[in-house]
Amino acid sequence: MPSWPTEPVYIGKSTQRVDGPEKVTGEARYSSDIHNEGWIYGMILRSQWPNAKIHSIDLSAARNVPGIKAAIKVRDDEFVAHYYGQELAAVAGTSKQACIDALLLIKVDATDIAFVVSEETAINPDSSRVFPDFPNIGEPKVRENGEVDKAFAQSAVTVEGLYATQIQMHHCLETHGNTAHQQGDNLTVWASTQGVFSVRDGLASNLELPQNKVRVISDYMGGGFGSKFGPGVEGVLVSRLTQKTGLPVKLMLPRYDEAKAVGNRPSSFQKIRMGADADGKIIAFELNSFGTSGFTSGPSTAGGGGRAGFPSPYLYNIPNTRVRQAGVAVNTGSSRAFRAPGHPQASFGMESIMDEMAARLNMDPLDFRLKNDTHDSLPAEIRRKEWKIAAESFGWKEKYNPPGSSKGTIKKGIGLAGGTWGGGGRGTQAECQINSDGSVELRCGTQDLGTGTRTLMAIIAAEIFGLKPGQITARLGDTLFPPSGGSGGSTTAASVSPAIYDICHNALKELGEVSGMEDPTGNQWFAACRKIGIQPLIVQGRWQEGLSSRGVGGVQMAEVEVDTETGFIKLNKVLCVQDCGLVVNKLATESQANGGVIMGVGYALYEERIMDSLSGVVLNPNFENYKLPGAQDMPEIEIILMEMPERGVIGIGEPVTIPTAAAIANAVANAIGARVPTLPITPDKVLAALGKVPNKPADSLAGNWGDFDQKLNWSQYSPTQEEGGGH
Amino acid sequence: MQGKNKSPHNNSPNSLSRREFLKGVGTTAVAAAASQAEQLAAQIKEVSDEKVHGPEAVPVTLHVNGEKRKLVLEPRVTLLEAIREHLNLTGQKEVCDRGTCGACTVMVDGVPQYSCMKLAVDSQNEDITTVEGLSSNGQLNKVQQAFIECDSLMCGYCTPGFVVNLTALLDHNPKPSEADVREACSGNLCRCGTYPRIFDAALKAAGVKTKSRVQILSAKDIINA
Amino acid sequence: MKPFQYATASSADGALELCGKNDQFLAGGTDILGEVKEFVSNPGRLVNIKNLPGTREIVETDTGWKLGANVTIAEIAAHEGLRRALPGLTQAAAKVGSPQIRNMGTLAGNLAQHSRCWYYRHRDVQCLKNGGARCYARESENKYHSIFSGNPCISPVVSNMAVILAALEASVNIRRGKQTFDIKMAEFYMVAWFNPYAHNSLKPADLILEVNIPVKTRSCVYLQVSEKSDFDWALVSCAAAGDLDGNALKNVRVALGAISPMVQEVEDANSFLEGKELDRRTASMAANIILEEAEPLEHNGYKVPMARALIRRALFKLAGINLERETS
Repeated sequence: MPSWPTEPVYIGKSTQRVDGPEKVTGEARYSSDIHNEGWIYGMILRSQWPNAKIHSIDLSAARNVPGIKAAIKVRDDEFVAHYYGQELAAVAGTSKQACIDALLLIKVDATDIAFVVSEETAINPDSSRVFPDFPNIGEPKVRENGEVDKAFAQSAVTVEGLYATQIQMHHCLETHGNTAHQQGDNLTVWASTQGVFSVRDGLASNLELPQNKVRVISDYMGGGFGSKFGPGVEGVLVSRLTQKTGLPVKLMLPRYDEAKAVGNRPSSFQKIRMGADADGKIIAFELNSFGTSGFTSGPSTAGGGGRAGFPSPYLYNIPNTRVRQAGVAVNTGSSRAFRAPGHPQASFGMESIMDEMAARLNMDPLDFRLKNDTHDSLPAEIRRKEWKIAAESFGWKEKYNPPGSSKGTIKKGIGLAGGTWGGGGRGTQAECQINSDGSVELRCGTQDLGTGTRTLMAIIAAEIFGLKPGQITARLGDTLFPPSGGSGGSTTAASVSPAIYDICHNALKELGEVSGMEDPTGNQWFAACRKIGIQPLIVQGRWQEGLSSRGVGGVQMAEVEVDTETGFIKLNKVLCVQDCGLVVNKLATESQANGGVIMGVGYALYEERIMDSLSGVVLNPNFENYKLPGAQDMPEIEIILMEMPERGVIGIGEPVTIPTAAAIANAVANAIGARVPTLPITPDKVLAALGKVPNKPADSLAGNWGDFDQKLNWSQYSPTQEEGGGH
Repeated sequence: MQGKNKSPHNNSPNSLSRREFLKGVGTTAVAAAASQAEQLAAQIKEVSDEKVHGPEAVPVTLHVNGEKRKLVLEPRVTLLEAIREHLNLTGQKEVCDRGTCGACTVMVDGVPQYSCMKLAVDSQNEDITTVEGLSSNGQLNKVQQAFIECDSLMCGYCTPGFVVNLTALLDHNPKPSEADVREACSGNLCRCGTYPRIFDAALKAAGVKTKSRVQILSAKDIINA
Repeated sequence: MKPFQYATASSADGALELCGKNDQFLAGGTDILGEVKEFVSNPGRLVNIKNLPGTREIVETDTGWKLGANVTIAEIAAHEGLRRALPGLTQAAAKVGSPQIRNMGTLAGNLAQHSRCWYYRHRDVQCLKNGGARCYARESENKYHSIFSGNPCISPVVSNMAVILAALEASVNIRRGKQTFDIKMAEFYMVAWFNPYAHNSLKPADLILEVNIPVKTRSCVYLQVSEKSDFDWALVSCAAAGDLDGNALKNVRVALGAISPMVQEVEDANSFLEGKELDRRTASMAANIILEEAEPLEHNGYKVPMARALIRRALFKLAGINLERETS
């Protein structure tokens, strides 16, 4: 069985990013920066209708604009554009201005169709339908364990709540897009992507090209967060434009298009009931929920893969549970995977009702968690320790006061929440080239999303070869390299690290044979390499069992100050305690944890896509009204990484973002003694929760959907076995 | 390294910046040195030119990173587009294109501005500094160096905007507090969530000590917990 | 952006000559280029007015302060004399946009900026203000809109500077054709109340030359609440200016922004406060007077209690008291 070195020089220490200098000087060329000789611009025309039959698209005037080299339609037949922002046509031209002018001249003959963009409206039987042959909301998936009704009847305390989470946008700073160049039979695409191979295969099948004629490169990319796996319609269109013109075409989405068609986190509307015995042990749980993943949600997926489900019951060990979940279709762009898909929603609903129950039981929320976080699983076992470590570091017991007991106009509160995530490694191949001058090049068809994959590769090779990370050239993001999977699910570090381990050990073996040295590492390296000769040593390898694992637990605590007259929330502190296995690069791991917390802050307090029910458009396709957390919004963030090297490498990009919003929501409720049941928690909602807004009573804050399960008669549906809760 | 009013990052003694020029016009207190009088007159002529340009492409001269660059652009081309797409200086990024994210931040006469909300034709006679103009002969400036040391970047797409902005901050305020740094950064967004470490880097570059907010607990600690 | 011409004016006369019916002035650019990029505004020509002589000065006069139209918000925020004399002005300037916006944006641009209504600014929506048939905000998403809503277009004043300048009884000096005249800050947005197409009381090709503040020094304060800590529009903004004679209020003026198409000022409230002892009850009663005729919409009722709190706080802040930190 392979194993990681027990006394490493670099692994687990802080190593500066090997590509730092390129990134701080502007030398790093992202997909948006590829300017090959003769390049031209591409631009997409999108539907301005929320739902419309597209009869015809006239490109003739656009083609006549000086500088326009090509204009194409997405499809030639009549079709329905299901949402505001759906792609209709594209142009390529020698200047951005030519493309802008051309788009304005494209004539679209369309007929409006009634639309619905609000989930709350779409679930009603009399709502207009996204797909005429199906109701918008499908049959719920049902999971049941134990005797739920009996357990509720036996509960000493029962609480019920409505909780809802918003649509969150990925808003990677580099928008979706590519530069593509068709030369002869070969198509090369510089893609801003999390998966060069998935983009290659997607393009090959869409364009009916052999996979060996498509090369995808992603040297640097400006963020993905789950939204950049496939080529997307924009990838197919830019490829068609270069095929048509023979010129390199750069097509990056403008920010406003980023808010329409390239993914989001599904919403959730959660009706939860929980029963506990007098000792504070939860014995009964019921969740009925719906949410939307856009027009591909609901009973007709129309070729999309959207889903709005999430793990439930989350984390806690409850013997009698019933969960019913459904997706509802609305006329909006589809969701895509988004950093820990499903989990932040699950955490928000579950941890909210946990605190409601704790308050009813007059228990400290921490003690209530400890009493119920009792699953027999490794993440739960780790989390039970994390609760205590967090409490001690945060000063939970000293700071905790019952909800609403903080005095004065500005009230302080604290809150906590937990999370779990899978992660783990999978098949990745890589190769190592060692030259006679001792230089080393690693090649792996993975991607570096900013997580530091390139640096991770260099650290592992340096560790095994006895060199410095700076002496290793790590190359990735190219389908000419040995394949790796998409960078998602927090699997990249756990997939790539073992493969690099394997190639380096294989290489050492070969170098030993070539050089005749027993140990060619460290001081012997250059002498050994001189024996290689003209043909460099090229060694392959692959992911190995035993160097990585999956399944982590984490907890977070938050401290807020809430101004009860203005509703403004100041987030003072977030503590993140995260299980992470073997840390490869301490610096990068900490940065990931900071980043996860900060994204959770945005989810908690600021971010929300606003659909307008009157016009059907996204009202905030910008950073002016889609509010991302900024420098002044930053709390003090404290990170405690629970290192367990014997577990091997585990990714942490996703777990660290899961509990943040729920912890903040609980802190706000603790401060003001009233709960804002929907995210984001904005000043208007805080004031309403406090009963200070005349036309918005506190009990109206959750919305008008609380009886949906009765209206839809959900009790008729029986359990279907599916994946269940997260532990 | 720099004069007080001059952009420290480039070297264009011949171009009197608009800011200085206007200062000269606006206040009698500024005594333009005799040697500059002639130059001033020429500048007045240039910027006072009430000729109508465009809408077709017109000659535009930009002073970027100390170099005079001549372009032919439509008046509706932004400074950001001119820099990125026409001069191929792709360090500064187009992220929001509406003056809300700071990824396009350049120094204009030493002062950070959003190049996406500025026309190229309206940026002549100003000293423009991009991230490419901050390091000389491969030598990183203090802010760039500190960004690497503090791991103040992840995907790196916002980084050039922050680096330019914070370089300008330290030029004007060599010993900022964390509050100063936060305020200076409030017009720049990062989606990966690197803010805490950006604050660290700015303070480190200024020689101000910061404390680490991170602990690592080993398996032993966990078992003992 | 659609194609346009560009010209640089070197005098007010030149500027007016260059600016035709379909043309617009360009100074900092942070407002107008946003509109042009969304095709909300399609000028035939942009006339650069940054170089008009004398418009970049901050001058203390015999009777007060003169701020040139092209003074940047950053220059106001950093001006030591203004900070000492009129601290509320510095506070308001420091809350405008971001450092980069403040470095670019001018005083005149801040005052004359157009509606930030998300329907008005939307490239794919034609709202009332844009010549369309309906005010979408009134029927739909109006969280950020006016609570004084008995008029056609309910997009509120968003200029910070207007709010503090109104409290300071400033006036705006404007060139219209051959004439030059003053508009009181309080009246600067009046036309926007009646005329849904107007953003303020300026006519096309009106050129702001300077802003005059009729006092050399005055206690004044500017407060705002936003959803984010910084670089965010005010949900409600409030300025107060006046003197304290012992504990008695003298010549106090209160003005609010982001709650009405005009800067919200109520003379009755100012006269009610005259000579009164500053206490919570007085402050609350002034707030009642100011907000009495508010007609909140479905999603912006929260602005009423928020405005009430800011009025109380602003008045106490004149006396150097941070009300929110006091325990009641």
